[in-house]
Amino acid sequence: MQSSKVLISQALNIIQDNLERTGDPLGVKTVYWTRWSDGLSLPDRGPVLLYTARMYQMLPFIVEVAGMTEKARPLLPLLSVKGFARIAEVVSALTIDPLLRVKARRGQNIRSRSKAALCGIVSGLAGVGVHPAYLHDNEPYSGVLLWELELEEKVMPVAGSVYNKLKSAGAETVVTVDPHTTFMLREVYPRIISNFNLDIRHYLELLAELQFPSPEYRPSGFPEKFVLHDSCVMTRNLGIIEAVRTVANRLNIEVIEPENTGMDTACCGGPVEYAYPDLSRSISYIRAKELAETGRDVLVLCPVCLINLMKHENELGIRVWDMGEILNSVFSV
Amino acid sequence: MNRQEEQREALLGEISKCRSCRFCIDVCPTYQASGGVESFSPYGRLQIIKYLLAGRLDFDDSLTYCLYSCLKCRRCENICKSKGQNLDICELIHSGRYLLSTNLAREGKHAKL
Repeated sequence: MQSSKVLISQALNIIQDNLERTGDPLGVKTVYWTRWSDGLSLPDRGPVLLYTARMYQMLPFIVEVAGMTEKARPLLPLLSVKGFARIAEVVSALTIDPLLRVKARRGQNIRSRSKAALCGIVSGLAGVGVHPAYLHDNEPYSGVLLWELELEEKVMPVAGSVYNKLKSAGAETVVTVDPHTTFMLREVYPRIISNFNLDIRHYLELLAELQFPSPEYRPSGFPEKFVLHDSCVMTRNLGIIEAVRTVANRLNIEVIEPENTGMDTACCGGPVEYAYPDLSRSISYIRAKELAETGRDVLVLCPVCLINLMKHENELGIRVWDMGEILNSVFSV
Repeated sequence: MNRQEEQREALLGEISKCRSCRFCIDVCPTYQASGGVESFSPYGRLQIIKYLLAGRLDFDDSLTYCLYSCLKCRRCENICKSKGQNLDICELIHSGRYLLSTNLAREGKHAKL
């Protein structure tokens, strides 16, 4: 791909700069990640702490960034490398925040779905008697993107800062909501932080371990069966495979296994979307088509899988559901 | 030998354990999506890293695309394990990109093409 080297180089720098400048990988200065919790009255400290790492809240912004990158791509051959780099740098520093905020506000669908997912997770946890605290405005980003782009030295200060914030809030157990953050906290942070002393639990692990009553009523229009898309990180990195099946069973939901499932699940294409949206779309289409051949309603456990498979909903006639959305529907009856 | 050189040698040593059975190729989502180009497969990426670190290839646009398009989804490792080799392929690609991306990030906005 033409200009691939400068694109990757630029992406590495923009993410680093954004984090240093604003503490946010997208460079958004406004506190956007707490709105979902309005009205939930979550305490700001406690031994069990919910850590969202902004992953679901970033979705409307990620959709817009990906769209903007895709639109700017045809301009690349017209610009010199240094010219493109300079423009990207200035645009990132000056305009990305207000522009993204305006555009992301229009992404009502994904915004409401990511909010429903987080609210559903909190409702599900309440259903098993877990009432977590939440850091609200003080919740930091985990640095997962830096790790995935091999900027390991940059992860170290971020990890230290996150760990201190979690400990300062009195946390002993940290409940995560997505596989990527779970992997960071469970596998990467302990390699970086000496005497790491936090119990990291994905919410589905807690729901699978603790008993909760099966719901008596199924919400109207709610599907009876779902084809399950396992997340690569959840299965092959973390080895969490049965938890979602156990929880689905307790919710009286029939789970259908697609051709490639569990440890052999196929990727949604999300990890390369930041640089190669065309390739990412081809990969997500192959997976979405495979899922569509098995069932209409697709169940996912990861916000990255959600936005990548969602792209093909209209084309393939599928509806992608995050597990949090399902919990929200079931527990809000 | 400095730390980076040690990492480079260790990485080349691990890559040399690959028996070139190529069973990892077919399960790779980027290989499938690219229509069967071996440079977009786990085996192809290990070869690219090997020759880049040995200085026998230049780190150009095409090779950047091949390396940075890896999803690190670890599906290739399942098949590698089932064939008795059990290489941490994505960890090797991660390490290779780490050694190369340090320079990329340093070159930053003026990465030379």
